[in-house]
Amino acid sequence: MSHRRRTIGVAMALLAGATLPLIAQTPPGDPRPIERGQKTFVTTCSFCHGTRANGGQGGPDLLRSVLVLDDNHGDKIGPVILNGRPGAGMPKFSLAPSQISDIADFLHNSIHAAAERGGYQILNIVTGNAKAGQAYFDGAGKCATCHSVAGDLKGIGSKHDPAALQGMILMPRGDHRGQSARTGSTALTVTVTLASGRTFSGALEAIDDFSVALRDSKGEYHSFTRNGDVPAVEVNDPLKVHSDMLTRYTDADIHNLLAYLVTLK
Amino acid sequence: MKMNRLLIAACLGLLPLALDAQMLDPALLTRPATDAWPTYNGDYSGRRFSTLTQINQSNVKGLTLEWEHRVTDVPGDGTIVGGKGSDPAPNSSTPPEIKATPLMVKGILYFSTPDNAWAVDARSGHQLWHYFWKTTGGIHIGNRGMGIYGNWLFFETPDNYLVSLEASTGKERWHVQIADVKQEYFSTPAPIVVGGHVIVGTGGDSLDVPGFLEAHDPETGALQWKWWSEPLKKGDAGSETWPDEYSMRHGGGMTWIPGTYDPELHLYYIGTGNPNPVESGRSREGANLYTCSIVALNVDTGKLVWYFQGSPHDTHDWDAAETPVLFDGAFEGKPRKMLAQAERNGYFFVLDRTNGENLVTAPLLKTLNWSKGVNSQGQPIGNSEKEATISGVLVSPASGGATNWPPPSFDPETNLFYVNTEASFSVFYLTDTDPHPEGYAGAEREIGSYGTELQAIDYKTGKAVWSHRFPSSGFPKGILTTAGHLLFTGDGSGHLIAFDPANGKILWHAGLAAEISNGPETFLLDGRQYLVVAAGDSLYAFTISQ
Repeated sequence: MSHRRRTIGVAMALLAGATLPLIAQTPPGDPRPIERGQKTFVTTCSFCHGTRANGGQGGPDLLRSVLVLDDNHGDKIGPVILNGRPGAGMPKFSLAPSQISDIADFLHNSIHAAAERGGYQILNIVTGNAKAGQAYFDGAGKCATCHSVAGDLKGIGSKHDPAALQGMILMPRGDHRGQSARTGSTALTVTVTLASGRTFSGALEAIDDFSVALRDSKGEYHSFTRNGDVPAVEVNDPLKVHSDMLTRYTDADIHNLLAYLVTLK
Repeated sequence: MKMNRLLIAACLGLLPLALDAQMLDPALLTRPATDAWPTYNGDYSGRRFSTLTQINQSNVKGLTLEWEHRVTDVPGDGTIVGGKGSDPAPNSSTPPEIKATPLMVKGILYFSTPDNAWAVDARSGHQLWHYFWKTTGGIHIGNRGMGIYGNWLFFETPDNYLVSLEASTGKERWHVQIADVKQEYFSTPAPIVVGGHVIVGTGGDSLDVPGFLEAHDPETGALQWKWWSEPLKKGDAGSETWPDEYSMRHGGGMTWIPGTYDPELHLYYIGTGNPNPVESGRSREGANLYTCSIVALNVDTGKLVWYFQGSPHDTHDWDAAETPVLFDGAFEGKPRKMLAQAERNGYFFVLDRTNGENLVTAPLLKTLNWSKGVNSQGQPIGNSEKEATISGVLVSPASGGATNWPPPSFDPETNLFYVNTEASFSVFYLTDTDPHPEGYAGAEREIGSYGTELQAIDYKTGKAVWSHRFPSSGFPKGILTTAGHLLFTGDGSGHLIAFDPANGKILWHAGLAAEISNGPETFLLDGRQYLVVAAGDSLYAFTISQ
């Protein structure tokens, strides 16, 4: 289903042998057979099946082929290569057993790579205009109100890869969910005002409709039961400006800002 | 009519309906039950509204824990073991999470998690039996529960078997394969029993396979009909919305979540999942019917009667699999038979369920940024600039959606539709630039959320009459409403909460050991009203203290 925790579910499934998807039974190990298999595949098979084995001029997509999915080190693929499929217009190829095994490894690795999205590589995302990004930083984006390229952002472009940096531009604390960062300058803070007028302030530890907890500047933990509006609770998010920007950025703003920040080496 | 035929069949001995204490009277399935919870949503409508009033606003403060029951999904002494895998082994390094809504029939609760099924005494939480399925694989993300007919239980496994058990003993009657795990199908729905049909769906979107819905014979497991979520070949209805047969066969449109049923119209309603490849539409130009759609199928033939596609050409993993909720009422002064769905793509839809005519389309989130408006048929118009690019696009909601599979509720007394929503953001990156991409073809990075809200929506306008914003974000939770003027749901801090469905005022809460993980349910047993909810690996039963 496809809900947000699926990736975690998949990761967990991979940790537990019993639930390993069958396609993962030929995990990418030694890259050499895969590379050899890819070369052989490209020269021998790609005209019909495509260079990525995902279908081509009349040849089916092999990444979704039940025969390939059932194959173990070439035991099912081999006979098809050696005998061809005359009825379907596939000629036979005389390949050595090691070449067939290599092609099988290449195909299984390609299936694994398509199915395991956790391993997908983000491509070169730095496509924006650095000058426009600088103008946005100093102007409309009002980034310079809080940040300085000679100060807190000095060298930021060499500290993080572009995808991480883009994520930090959008939400420096990371995901809001779970209040992951409870310390430091970006932590959520809270002020609790009791009926008596006494107030407690500090880093927000936890909050729901029924209680609120904080850690004060001395490191002491305080928690309070909530009953409607009593006590008064005011949560302060130092990164509210970043949150608010999520509905204002254009994608070009984001890409230009990134292009600018990666120049800050 | 259906019932008569079944009764005759039973009298003739064609359907050996068991006559033991656990037997479900199949007629119960056609009317809202108070002394049972005989199907995933309690009844066929998907409203998850109970007419019970014993627990009500005047005494809800006295709602107390009757029992708690924790499950372990490891075979133990007395576990009945079935399945095709090699050794019975723990299927997960983490505790099981109960996403099923347990069935309750004649005092016994029946529920399942991936590879496991249990019967538990609803009066005490005492376990009667445990069935364990040795798996051959599949993603073990969740299981919505079981179906029951007479003394026969039905559930699906992650490696795509429909398994039938004897309710009284937990012994296996038979199993049939419904999909190939090697093609990355894995099955999550609760089977829905309608007349002589056990309706089952499947999921899986790692390897671009087409989805389907099937009906099986409750007696033998034999296939009765199969509806594919996509046209199979050029010329078939819907094929004009795909460029070629190659893209149709990449399919999608998974049937992750049980549907709903109108006995008078004889229509089964289900929402279908996203098309594949999930996050790139490059190889599948067009609307990609019948993915991301609400479809109405003739329950006896599986033939499509009408459809409404809420996310044409989806590229954000927004399954339309959320429960299609059925209710009757006035719309613009006329009585209508309606269907409402709060969809993962961030829109609330109301349709005329006799013909699929769109009555209302309204956004669930202020942050929603992927559409350019709504067309004359009530469909959102996707903004192609918000499809994944190499450099990334910022989209709200994230792929997890404005809401997700946890069941919403419709209260016919307030005439409000209740759903939990989250205003989330993600960046979508295109990672596969091939003209024929594979798998997801994209990567997502979650950015954050403006928070989780319980919304009470007026179906006539699609606007929230009230909403409650939870202080901490969390995955949207399932909902139950009752004639006791109560709404039960959960928050992201492990609380089960009772709200006033008229105004959102909190009336009662209890802290559980985990966030609620299914839709709460209620039933009457020995004259006492029970409220049962799952949180993580445990079931909790509440009653009014006596």
